Amino acid sequence: MLQVHLKKQWKGFGLDVSFEIPRGKITVLFGPSGAGKSTVLRLIAGLEIADSGNILHGGKVWFDDARRIDVSPQQRSIGFVFQDYALFPHLTVEKNVAYGVNSKESAKTVKELISLIGLTGYERCYPAQLSGGQKQRVALVRAMARNPGLLLLDEPLSALDWETRARLQTDVKQIIRRFQSTALYVTHDVSEVYKLADYVIVLESGKVVKQGTPEDVFLGKRLSTRIQVAGKVVGIEHDSIMSTVTILHADQFFKALIDREEIDGLGLQVGDDVVMGAKSSDVILFKILT
Amino acid sequence: MNFAAPLILTLKLSFITTVLLFIVGVPFAYWLAFTRLRMKFILESVIALPLVLPPTVLGFYLLMAIGGGSFIGRWYEDVFNKTLAFSFQGLVVGSFFYSLPFAVQPFQASFTAVDKRLIEASWSLGRSRLYTFFAVILPLSRQGIITGCVLSFAHTLGEFGVVLMIGGNVPGVTRVASVAIYDEVQSLNYGTANAYAGCLLLLSFAILTLVYFVNRRFVRTL
Repeated sequence: MLQVHLKKQWKGFGLDVSFEIPRGKITVLFGPSGAGKSTVLRLIAGLEIADSGNILHGGKVWFDDARRIDVSPQQRSIGFVFQDYALFPHLTVEKNVAYGVNSKESAKTVKELISLIGLTGYERCYPAQLSGGQKQRVALVRAMARNPGLLLLDEPLSALDWETRARLQTDVKQIIRRFQSTALYVTHDVSEVYKLADYVIVLESGKVVKQGTPEDVFLGKRLSTRIQVAGKVVGIEHDSIMSTVTILHADQFFKALIDREEIDGLGLQVGDDVVMGAKSSDVILFKILT
Repeated sequence: MNFAAPLILTLKLSFITTVLLFIVGVPFAYWLAFTRLRMKFILESVIALPLVLPPTVLGFYLLMAIGGGSFIGRWYEDVFNKTLAFSFQGLVVGSFFYSLPFAVQPFQASFTAVDKRLIEASWSLGRSRLYTFFAVILPLSRQGIITGCVLSFAHTLGEFGVVLMIGGNVPGVTRVASVAIYDEVQSLNYGTANAYAGCLLLLSFAILTLVYFVNRRFVRTL
């Protein structure tokens, strides 16, 4: 469990946040750019110092201005994944992953981690020879290699294209689950929240405005649907009594025929983020023949 | 008079100065690159002074600082039983300060250019500042380190004013190639002067070619 109470003031911007994140879960810190998400992450990592407050992780004090405690980033048992990967350009994939590992059995761990992300055979490649998706996979397992108590991810997928991003969201979730890590994941992408989050904290202008499960936070109620998909509305066509709504999820389009009154009642517009679900009828699956 | 002696002395002086500048300049440049001290610009100006000052001015102050009348000069005489001024050791001191900006500035620039995220990534992976320096910052600053060392070497090679002020013209001790040229011309030995000048020209050209070659290669590979 991580408990955070922090205040920091700059010229024209103030950060004042209090929250807890549950152990062994993925918590997403969500908000528009400029809300202070990355700063919160950097403060937790010890890369920046808050004016006041405290950070507690699993009974250990990482920061407490009243007691003048400020544990260095090296001592905080964290893994940090940067938006722009931050792989060491002069080291191979293998050496990057092994960078933070000390013990003798590291060679085996490193090998396992590399195979986990499907990069066996790339051990001796340099970061410049990898694609964006591959780089971020390496950065992820490099951060996991030390088995950190807390994994911090700062918009790790935002530099990638749609397709790679969708694939990596699944991978990231699987890897974090596999290590049963506690993770704090920063993003400004709603669909990423739905795909990854067990718990969401919404940050706006340096303050926590909402927190809860993704459904609590974004819909204000729990959905009991048989099937649901989150995405962005890209098209609305009205008929006399029905409307066709098209949403984009990752790189897939979903179309649904919905009561026009309901659409008008929501004031739905192209560009809105929505969750589309179906609950009354049976869900049908079609097998794709290849 | 041995023709090679001033040339060997010049190379010896350049080599020792470069090694000293590397040992002292690297930590100093690291500190300059990462300190948050507001007054660091004053220190940077002091280091850059030899770039703009006439060598005779620098030489004059250094002579005052290490001469027999100064504290340092007297201390040196007491301990080593000889003067620091007009000795080879004195020349090393002078060359060190004279070439300081040529080492520190490229070192500092290359340290500053290392992506801050890489340093933070190293810290977050549990590695100390010292480990991070040797494992990340130094390897990524190769180009600046090589440039700084080679420029220090080349600059010391061509030093004249400072050497003459604090070293004089003692054959085999402080008579470096640049001083020998001046001396030979004074004695109207244009042939010998020409030979020394040619050697210095070739050496300097070779060194600069190396710097530009190294820089070009690094730009291409990174």
